[in-house]
Amino acid sequence: MADSNAPKPSSSVKLVLLGEAAVGKSSLVLRFVNNDFQENKEPTIGAAFLTQKCNLPSRTIKFEIWDTAGQERFASLAPMYYRNAQAALVVYDLTKPTSLVKAKHWVAELQRQASPGIVIALVGNKLDLTNDSESGQGDNDGDGAEGEDSGDARKVSTEEAKSYAEEESLLFFETSAKTGYNVTDVFTAIANAIPETSLKSTRGPGASNVVSRGGDEQRVNLNGPREAAKEGCAC
Amino acid sequence: MFNISSLVQKAQSAAQQLIDPMQGLNLTNSDRNPSKGSLFQNQFRLPSSQTPLFEIPAELTIPPSNVTHGGKDHDRGWHYAGRLHLSESYLCFSTTPTSFAQTASTSTSSAFTGQTHGAGPSGNGFTFPLCAIRRVERLNSQNFQFSLAITTWNGITQEQAKDKEALKDRKDFREQRITIQLAGSRQACERFCDGLKKGLRGAVGSVGKLKKVVAECYSEYLLRPEEKKNAASPDAGLGVIFKYPGDPKKLRDRAKMRLWAEYLRDNGRNATIIRQPTFHKLIRVGLPNRLRGEMWELTSGSLYLRLETPTLYIDTLDKFSGRESLAIDEIEKDLNRSLPEYPGFQSEEGINRLRRVLTAYSWINPDVGYCQAMNIVVAALLIYMSETQAFFLLSALCDRLVPGYYSSTMYGTLLDQKVFESLVEKTMPILWEHLVKSDVQLSVVSLPWFLSLYINSMPLVFAFRVLDVFFVEGPKVLFQVGLAILRINGEELLDAADDGAFISVLKSYFSRLDESAHPKSENPKLRAINRFQELMVVAFKEFSAITHGTIQDLRLKNKDAVLNNIENFAKRTAIRNLGPDSKLLSPDELGALYDRFYGVLYERQQRDHIIQEEQRRRAKASKTRASEAFPEHRDHVEKGRVGLGPSTSLMDYDAFREFLAGVSKWAISDAPPASPRRDPSSDRNAYFGSFRRSDPVSLSPWGTGPEPANHEFMQRLFRKWDVTNSSSLTLQNVVTGLAQIKGGRDIMGTITYFFELYDDDCDGKVDREGILRVSEALLFLSRRGLEGVLSTSDSNTMLNGASEADSAATSSPPIGGTVNERFLGSVSAFIRRCFEYADPDRPGNQDEVAQTKSPGAPFISQEDTPIDESAFTIGDDGDDEEDEEEDDLLAFDGPSTKSNITEKKKLDLGSIPAALGKPPVEDVGKRAVSSKAQSEKANVALDPSNPLHITLPTFRMVVLADELLEQFFESSFPTSLHIIDGLPNTVSQSSSLTTFSSLNFNRPAVIPPPGTQPGLAGAGRGLRGVLDNIVTDASRVAAEVRRRMEEAQRELEKNALPGQRDEDDEDDEDLQGPVKSSNAYSGDAERRSVRSSDRDLLDGADADAGASKEIHSATHPPIDADDEQPGQIGAANNSMQRIVEFES
Repeated sequence: MADSNAPKPSSSVKLVLLGEAAVGKSSLVLRFVNNDFQENKEPTIGAAFLTQKCNLPSRTIKFEIWDTAGQERFASLAPMYYRNAQAALVVYDLTKPTSLVKAKHWVAELQRQASPGIVIALVGNKLDLTNDSESGQGDNDGDGAEGEDSGDARKVSTEEAKSYAEEESLLFFETSAKTGYNVTDVFTAIANAIPETSLKSTRGPGASNVVSRGGDEQRVNLNGPREAAKEGCAC
Repeated sequence: MFNISSLVQKAQSAAQQLIDPMQGLNLTNSDRNPSKGSLFQNQFRLPSSQTPLFEIPAELTIPPSNVTHGGKDHDRGWHYAGRLHLSESYLCFSTTPTSFAQTASTSTSSAFTGQTHGAGPSGNGFTFPLCAIRRVERLNSQNFQFSLAITTWNGITQEQAKDKEALKDRKDFREQRITIQLAGSRQACERFCDGLKKGLRGAVGSVGKLKKVVAECYSEYLLRPEEKKNAASPDAGLGVIFKYPGDPKKLRDRAKMRLWAEYLRDNGRNATIIRQPTFHKLIRVGLPNRLRGEMWELTSGSLYLRLETPTLYIDTLDKFSGRESLAIDEIEKDLNRSLPEYPGFQSEEGINRLRRVLTAYSWINPDVGYCQAMNIVVAALLIYMSETQAFFLLSALCDRLVPGYYSSTMYGTLLDQKVFESLVEKTMPILWEHLVKSDVQLSVVSLPWFLSLYINSMPLVFAFRVLDVFFVEGPKVLFQVGLAILRINGEELLDAADDGAFISVLKSYFSRLDESAHPKSENPKLRAINRFQELMVVAFKEFSAITHGTIQDLRLKNKDAVLNNIENFAKRTAIRNLGPDSKLLSPDELGALYDRFYGVLYERQQRDHIIQEEQRRRAKASKTRASEAFPEHRDHVEKGRVGLGPSTSLMDYDAFREFLAGVSKWAISDAPPASPRRDPSSDRNAYFGSFRRSDPVSLSPWGTGPEPANHEFMQRLFRKWDVTNSSSLTLQNVVTGLAQIKGGRDIMGTITYFFELYDDDCDGKVDREGILRVSEALLFLSRRGLEGVLSTSDSNTMLNGASEADSAATSSPPIGGTVNERFLGSVSAFIRRCFEYADPDRPGNQDEVAQTKSPGAPFISQEDTPIDESAFTIGDDGDDEEDEEEDDLLAFDGPSTKSNITEKKKLDLGSIPAALGKPPVEDVGKRAVSSKAQSEKANVALDPSNPLHITLPTFRMVVLADELLEQFFESSFPTSLHIIDGLPNTVSQSSSLTTFSSLNFNRPAVIPPPGTQPGLAGAGRGLRGVLDNIVTDASRVAAEVRRRMEEAQRELEKNALPGQRDEDDEDDEDLQGPVKSSNAYSGDAERRSVRSSDRDLLDGADADAGASKEIHSATHPPIDADDEQPGQIGAANNSMQRIVEFES
C-alpha cells in the first residue's frame, strides 16, 4: 500500500462514515482497508478508527476513517466524529428505501453543521443483492453486517438517488462491499475531489503552521516528526 | 463539539450564572437538593421503595469468631460506632457519619466521608432486610439503656429451620448474633424499637421469599457442610460451563475463595453479610470467579431489587413472549458481536441467555430499550451470574450506577465525558493543553471506556477487576481508572498529535496490562507488579481525591450545557425530518414550534410531578410516622426534557389546549386565572424557548400560563390534526396542522380547511348543525378581536380619543363601533346566507330551495356593492381602530356574543323567536315588508323538518360575500396563531381582565401594571362574571342573542339615519342586568377552574329551567319555522332585501 517510489506529496484526510444501521458502513471500510469481507467481530461503540492510504498519480492521501455506530441513539454523538471531517461517506442500503431517507438527513446535517467544503459521497451499498448487479453475485446469505434484513432486490432506483445526489452536488456511487465492486472507486473519487487548498490547510491548529504542504514534501518533513510519522505509518 | 464548543458553553453558562447562579442550570429540585430518601437509598443501595424512617446513634458489637480470628486483639469482638437506620423493610448500620433523620439538614445527610461518599455501602456495617432477622432480644446492659441482640437467619436454610433439633446438633453451626447498643435518649430508643418491632412483624411473611432468593447465591453452596456438597450448586454464570476468563492459578482464585469463605463464615453471607475493613480489601484484590456474581449483586444493591420482585424476570419473559419490537431487532443484530471471543458466546446457550436478558430488560424499561454496549456489559455479567441476577444488575446499572448512559439520547454518557474532560483539565493541565492544541478529542477514546465499563477496552480479566470495585464504590471508579490510564501514559500521549496516534498509544497500553510495570527493577517484588496493579494503585491512590461528590458537582455543572447540546441536535434533526408540509413554514417558525411543542409537554410533566409529590407529601403527613407499607416511592426520575430521552413526544388534548393558549389569544379561557399570584412580567417566550421554568412551584393545573379554553372548535382542530386517531399529536401532526393553516395558503385553502373541519363525515356537506357550529367557531375565534390586516381603518388616535369620550358618555360602545360588532353582523349574515343557499337534503324541499337558490348564481356580483354598503357603513362611521382599546371592546363583545351563539346552537333557533315576541317594527315601510317576505322564504330553510346542508362552493361563496369574513379567512385566522413570538403578556395574562375593567370603568384599555391584577380582582371578577354568566346562563344567552341580532338589524337600518342613538342607551341598560347579577358569582373562584360544560350543570339551577334543559339535551328540538324569526336574521335580511330589489 505505502508508496515505495519517489516521495509524493502526502496529506491526511479525515473521513467519516454515516448512515442507518446495517447498511454496510463497516463492511465498506473493511473492504477498503483490508480488502476483506467478514462479520465484524468487534462491536462498534461510538466509532471505530481506521486508516488507509490512497495513491493518486500526483499525491498520496491518507484517509483517517471514522466508522460510526449506526444505531439511532448514537446519532447525537456523530458531531463529535464529523467535526473537522473533510470528507463524508453517507451510506444507504439500496434495498431499503428508509435508509435513503436517513441518508438524506445526514447529508442535510453535514451541509449545515460540518466544516464548509466537506466532500460528501452518497453511496448505495449492497449492489450484489440486486438483479442488475454488474458484479453478478446474487446470493444473499452470509452477508455479515449488511445482508441480514434485506431480502431480494433493489428498492431504490439509481435514477432517484442519482438525481438527488446531483441536486445536492454529491458524489454518487453504487457499491457492493461484499464483492468489492466500486468500493475503491469511491475513496479514489473522494481523494480526487478534495480540493488542493483544503489539503494545504490540514485540520487542527497544530498543523496550521505547516506552509505549502502539498507543494514541497521535504520541507514538510523538516517541520516536525509528526508529519514524518504519518508518512511512515502503514495502514 | 467537545473541546472548543465546550469553552464557549462554559463561558455562556458562566455568564448565565452571573445573572442568576441557578438559573443557567436546568436543575431539578432533586439535583440541587437531593432528598434524604434518595441519599439513604444510594448509601445502602436500597430500592426506591425504601425511605429512612428512624435513625439513632448506636454501637455495633460483633462477637469474636472462634474459628479463625482468635487473635488476642479481638478477644472481645469488634466494635463499631455509627448510626443505625431503619426503613420500611431494612435495618442498616454504617460507620459513615451521616444522618438521614427527618430533622437533619440535607447537608448533614450528604456530607459523606466514607470510601464511597454515599454512592454505595461505605464504611463498616450491614444492610439487613428485616426478613433476614430471626430474633431480636433486649439485653441488660450497664452502659446503655437499650441493648439489642440480633440473631439472623444467616446460614439457616428452609429445611433446617423446620428441624431445630438437627440445627442444635450441628457442631459446626454458629448462629450469627450481633449486639447493638442504642445511644439515644430513652424516648428516641423506644421510638426506634417500636418502629423496628412493627417492621419485623411486617417482614415475617417475607422470610420464605428471602430464603428462595438467597438460595441462588453461590455462598449458600460454598458454606454448606461437607456432607451436603453434592447438591447442585447455584448458577454462577456461564463460567461454570465454559470456564471463567483468565488462568485461575494466575488469578490465585483458590486462595481468594478460601479467604472469602472464611470472611463469609465469620461475617455472614449474602443478605446478612456484615462489612468490615477486610471486606473492602478483599474486593480490591479481585473477587474469586464463583463469588463474583454474588458480590456484584450484593454491592450494587441489585440483590435487594431481586428480593423485592423475585419473579419479575421470568414474568416479564412470559408476558412478552413472542412479541416483536424495535429493540428486539436491534438486539438480534448484536448478539453475535458480544464478547465473541468468549467461548460461551459462541454457543447457543450463551447467546440465548444474552438474548433473554436484554429482551426482558427492553420490555421493563422501554425508555431505554436497547443500546449498543449493553450487549457487551450483559455478556460480561452473564459469565459470572445467572440470567435473573444479570437482569436485576442491569436494572441497577441503568437506574442508579450509570444513569442515562444507555438512554435514547445517551445524555449520561455525554455528560460523563464532559465531567471526565473537566477532571483531566484539572488534574493534568499539561496533557489537557496538549489535547486542546493538537485538537484531539478525548471523548473519542474515553467514551467507549465508560459506555462499556472498560469491558471491551481492557482484557476481560482486568476489566472485571475494575467492575469489582465499581459495583461497591460507584461510578467515580470509572473516572479514577480513566484518569490513571492517562496519567500513566502521559508522556507518550504528549507525543501523540492526532486522534489516530492517541488511540494507538492507548490500544497498545491495554494490550500490555499483564506485563510487569517495572521490568528492569532489581526488586523482584516490584518486578512482580504488573501494569494493571500499577493502574489500580494510581487510580485509587493518586486520584483518591476524586469522590462521588466531585463527580456529582461536575455533573451538575455540565448538565445543562450537555442537555442543550443534545436538544439542539435533536431539534435540528427533528425539524429536518419533518415532512414536506413543514416547508410551508419558515425555519424560525418550525424552531419556535418545536420549542413550544416540547415546552408544553415538559411543563406539563413537571407540573404533574410536582402535584403528585405534593399529594404524596400530604398523604404521608396525614399518615403520621407509621412504618407501615408506603405507597410506592419512585426514585425521582426526571422526565420530559428532550435531552433526557423521549419520556413522551405525544401531545394529548389538554396539552394541545395549553399549546394553543400559548400562541393564540382566542384559545385562552375566559375564566380568571386560577392562581392569584402570577407574575405577568415573566416572559413566557423565554422559558418556552429554552425549557426553563421560571417558577416551578405552581399547583395550578396550567402552571403559570393562562387557563386554556375548551371550545368545540379546539376539539375539532385536535381531531383534524390527529390523523392517526390516536388521541394524541406528534410534532409532525402539529406542524402539518399548522402548516395547513398558516403555510402561506391562499384564502381558498383556509376556507376549505375550515369547511373540512366541520364536514364530519367528509361527504362534502355541512348540515345545519355544522353551519351553526361554524358560526360559533367564528365568534369564538374573534371574541378577543381580530388580528391581521383589516381594511377600513381610519386614523387610530383620533378615533381612539373619540371613542373614549364616547364610551365615557354613553357607557356603551359607539354605534357600530368596533370591528367586532361588524364581525358579529358578518357572522349573522353568514348564518342566514348559509341557510338561504343551502341545499336541501330531501327532494321535498326542492321547490322552495329552488326559489331561494335561483338568485344564487348572480349572487356575488350583484351583492358585492350592497353588502359593502350595509356592512361597512357601520364600521366606517364608527371607529375602526385596532389598538388595544378596541381590542378590549371587541373582547367584551366577543365573548358575550360568542357565547350567545355557542348556547344558541344548543338552545336552537326555534326557541329564540318564541321569546322574541316582537319583530323589529320600528322601521317600517316597504323595506320591512319585503324584508319580511324575504325572510319568510329564508326561514323555510330553518325548518328542521327540511334537513339541509351547504357544500364547499356554497360555503366559499358565502364567506367571500362578506369582506370581514374574507379578511378573517385571509389573514385574521392564520395570523392569530403566533408561533414565534407568542402572545404579548398583556394578552396572554390578562386580556379578559383588561377588557372588562376598561368597559366597566368607562375608560379605555389600560394595561394593568404588573402586579395590580389582584387589586382589580373585585371589579374584574365581576365583569368576568358577566361573561361567565352569559356563557352559562342559557336564558340570558337567548335574550342576549336576540338583543344582539335586533341591534344589528336596527343599526343596519339606521345607517340611513346616523345620529339616532336611543337604542344604544337601551342596549346599555340591557347590559347592566347581567353585570349586576353576575357579581353574585364572581367571588366564587373555584368555579373558574371547572370546565365550562360543568359550569352549565352548576348554573342549571339558576337558569331558566326550560332553557337549561335544552342546553343539556343532546338532540336538537325542532326549529319552528315561524314568522318571528326576522329578529334573528334581520341584519342579513336587510342586505338580502336589496338583492331582491336589484333583481326585480
